[in-house]
Amino acid sequence: MDILKKSGEKVVLLGNEAIARGALEAGVGVFAAYPGTPSSEVPMTIARVAKKRRMVFEYASNEKVAFETAAGAALSGVRAMTAMKHFGLNVAADSISPIAYYGPKAGLVVLVADDPNGWSSAQSEQDTRYYARMFRMPMLEPSDPQEALDFTRFAFDLSEEFNIPVLIRTTTKVSHVIETVKLGKLKKPRTKGSFVRDYEHYYNIRPGLQKLHREVDRKLERIEKKYGQKLNKVYNRNSNSKIGIIASGVSYQYAAELSSLLGLKVPIAEINMTFPLSRKFIANFIKGKKAVLVLEELEPIVEEFVKQVAKEVNPRLEVHGKDMLPRYGEYTLELLLPVFEKIFRKSYGLDLKAHKRKYEKAVEGLPPRKPVMCYGCPHRSTFYAVKKVFGNTKNVVYPGDIGCYVLGIFEPFKMQDLVVSMGASVGIAHGITRVSGQEVVVFVGDSTFFHAAMPAIANLRFHDGKSPLVVVLDNHVTAMTGHQPHPGSGFTATSDPTKAIDIAEVAKALGAEVRVANSFNQKQLEQALRELREVKGPRVLVSRGECRLFWRRNMIRKGLSWPVFEVDQNKCQKCGVCTDEFSCPAITKDTSGALPVFRIDPNLCWGCSVCAQVCPYGAIRVKKEG
Amino acid sequence: MNYDIMLTGVGGEGVLTTQVVLARAAHYQGYMVEGVQLHGLAQRGGHIPAFVRLHSFNQTVSPAVMQANADLVLAFEPLESVRAAYYARKDKTVFVINDDPLKPVYGNILDIPYPSMDEIKKRISGFAKDIHIVRASEIAKQKLGKKIYGNILMLGYAKAKGLLPISEKNIIKAVKETVRYDVDKNLKAFRIGLEMGR
Ligand SMILES: Cc1ncc(C[n+]2csc(CCOP(=O)(O)OP(=O)(O)O)c2C)c(N)n1
Ligand code: SF4
Repeated sequence: MDILKKSGEKVVLLGNEAIARGALEAGVGVFAAYPGTPSSEVPMTIARVAKKRRMVFEYASNEKVAFETAAGAALSGVRAMTAMKHFGLNVAADSISPIAYYGPKAGLVVLVADDPNGWSSAQSEQDTRYYARMFRMPMLEPSDPQEALDFTRFAFDLSEEFNIPVLIRTTTKVSHVIETVKLGKLKKPRTKGSFVRDYEHYYNIRPGLQKLHREVDRKLERIEKKYGQKLNKVYNRNSNSKIGIIASGVSYQYAAELSSLLGLKVPIAEINMTFPLSRKFIANFIKGKKAVLVLEELEPIVEEFVKQVAKEVNPRLEVHGKDMLPRYGEYTLELLLPVFEKIFRKSYGLDLKAHKRKYEKAVEGLPPRKPVMCYGCPHRSTFYAVKKVFGNTKNVVYPGDIGCYVLGIFEPFKMQDLVVSMGASVGIAHGITRVSGQEVVVFVGDSTFFHAAMPAIANLRFHDGKSPLVVVLDNHVTAMTGHQPHPGSGFTATSDPTKAIDIAEVAKALGAEVRVANSFNQKQLEQALRELREVKGPRVLVSRGECRLFWRRNMIRKGLSWPVFEVDQNKCQKCGVCTDEFSCPAITKDTSGALPVFRIDPNLCWGCSVCAQVCPYGAIRVKKEG
Repeated sequence: MNYDIMLTGVGGEGVLTTQVVLARAAHYQGYMVEGVQLHGLAQRGGHIPAFVRLHSFNQTVSPAVMQANADLVLAFEPLESVRAAYYARKDKTVFVINDDPLKPVYGNILDIPYPSMDEIKKRISGFAKDIHIVRASEIAKQKLGKKIYGNILMLGYAKAKGLLPISEKNIIKAVKETVRYDVDKNLKAFRIGLEMGR
């Protein structure tokens, strides 16, 4: 495995693997996380090597618990880390804020991966850099996998030197980048420590609170003084160009590539520590310059700071950034090129606008390719049954949630009326039923159930009355982010068995009327739904069926095969239910002849049998061998 | 030197593994490698663009290929080769396309027909210096039992056509290091691809 290779070797690593390696080089003893792309490969990589490295690795039920686990270890003197996607930081924020005041005893590092452009997230394009300012925590921002590795290792030292937790922020184009990376030395993890009671220090009630706050601000001042110059870098320092570039994160890479593409020799300041920003570093860089172009995705945080500093040291400086570039989405070479051409008065000599117009014509009218639920996905079957029972008129509302089932937002179901945040569907449904006479059916995944839906379900019983119907899509794993286990799975991150918590029992204990149905059995689903439709108070349907992709991988691993299905062309009445209403991607509709022909691709069928159940004419059957 | 490769295909079809094979092979060849995977979902069916950029160690290049700048497009699915044209241009880009259409379900539901191979060629002709259509999945299925080996077969084909500035030895080494199952069949697929391209 490349991730454990020797110091000095050069290997090709994913940004997230490089971060994991950095943590191993720092001798991290405890790593806990809740998965969230684009950060997921960090915990996945650590999970693979945790036993070998004799360190603790856990998937927690949510990011807050994951952070608390790491914090508890670090407060007890063991180096610890957690990783999450941007929204995860919203969940963990409540605990991070006070721990930042406390300061850990051993290095405590929080990786957060933002996702401008929403490659792997809906919900929002939040810029988590604001959190560093709010928490009073230093934030390092690598621009590529090599820096990701180096900064992660360094973050532990920084955390210990100043007794402060450290944030590392990436974006998708750092986390999911592969690059040649030079490895450093692995360090043996220390996993034993103990908590030392210290009322003097952990006293965060007024006036202790103000003392802690003042201390953390002093730490930040000292960090700025010691590392503000060292961590940030200037390239082409000796250039006599009066125009400079200030960039952070992957934008630095774009700046460097575009400069060489256009044959420019301009000074580029790479901001690697985005909090605290170094006043002195920026002041030195902008002194004597006519203009600077600030490159950062999303919000103009560095840009505003540069403007402030410029007021003091160079009031005539022209500061460009968000006046020429969007605050939404990601930057790309082609987006930045015209800005460079304009500012530096150079031409690359390619008319990209014309090229794009030509391209748009070339792809006009092609069938769209949106992600779909897998062949044989249990969620598809559940959506189908719910739609059959409840329909899809204005009188029924389907608040959605976060997981593979979000794909129910597309045709043919269109049953994710809103997607807010993990577990939010239940609370929002409750709010809707408070004011509306509509029927409300909510979809929540099993991992999401443990992550954040439980408090909202408890709240339903608490305010007895008309309640939404909660459908828990229990596929046994956290599927969308890569099939990580959760408290209901029955095994841990390191594949050790553990007692699975039964969601039906939990829902009962939370006061709901509960039914359990097999996701691959339309009759069972329908019956349970019809029964629960008549129940007045809180009601939960646990639709239980293993994630088909996960199931299939295990089947293949065990060398097992499964029966596949076929359409009996003599019985098929050409109604199109299987393709147009159920829409398993293994079933195709051939429209080249006078009448459509429906077929199941035997290479793609994962044998769930639900299409055979939904065909009104019994025309789908198990394919005979040969 | 710089050599920019764009890989495209459908999620779950092995695009990302092939990307890692290429990246490792280029690394063994002595290039600095940079590339990005743009995916987020475990499921299949979405379109997956990935890049591998080969360059020398004294250059800084960013993760994704610039619009209209790919040297090579490796398309594991024909429809997606058209969408890859964004990164291609007439005087520069060669397309190698696996002739294995995977019809998107939304085509069914929305009644949009899947284009013929001739139409696909016509649509990309304004962006391609050369177009190679390879029956990679079909031959892999025929000779080795599974379509998935078609990915590495495509690498063999591209290599034989002089489209990969990486030695056979280094590609083979990368396959061995990267592919988790059925290494032998993948190596065979690579050799079949080489033959087909010669
Ligand atoms: C706060 C937060 N953490 C993590 C994620 C990333 N995430 C997206 S989908 C998902 C999986 C949810 O699993 P589950 O509810 O079991 O649904 P499944 O994908 O298995 O259908 C996760 C963790 C997120 N969007 N928000
Ligand atoms: S990964 Fe599992 S839960 Fe997600 S769409 Fe595929 S089968 Fe369904």
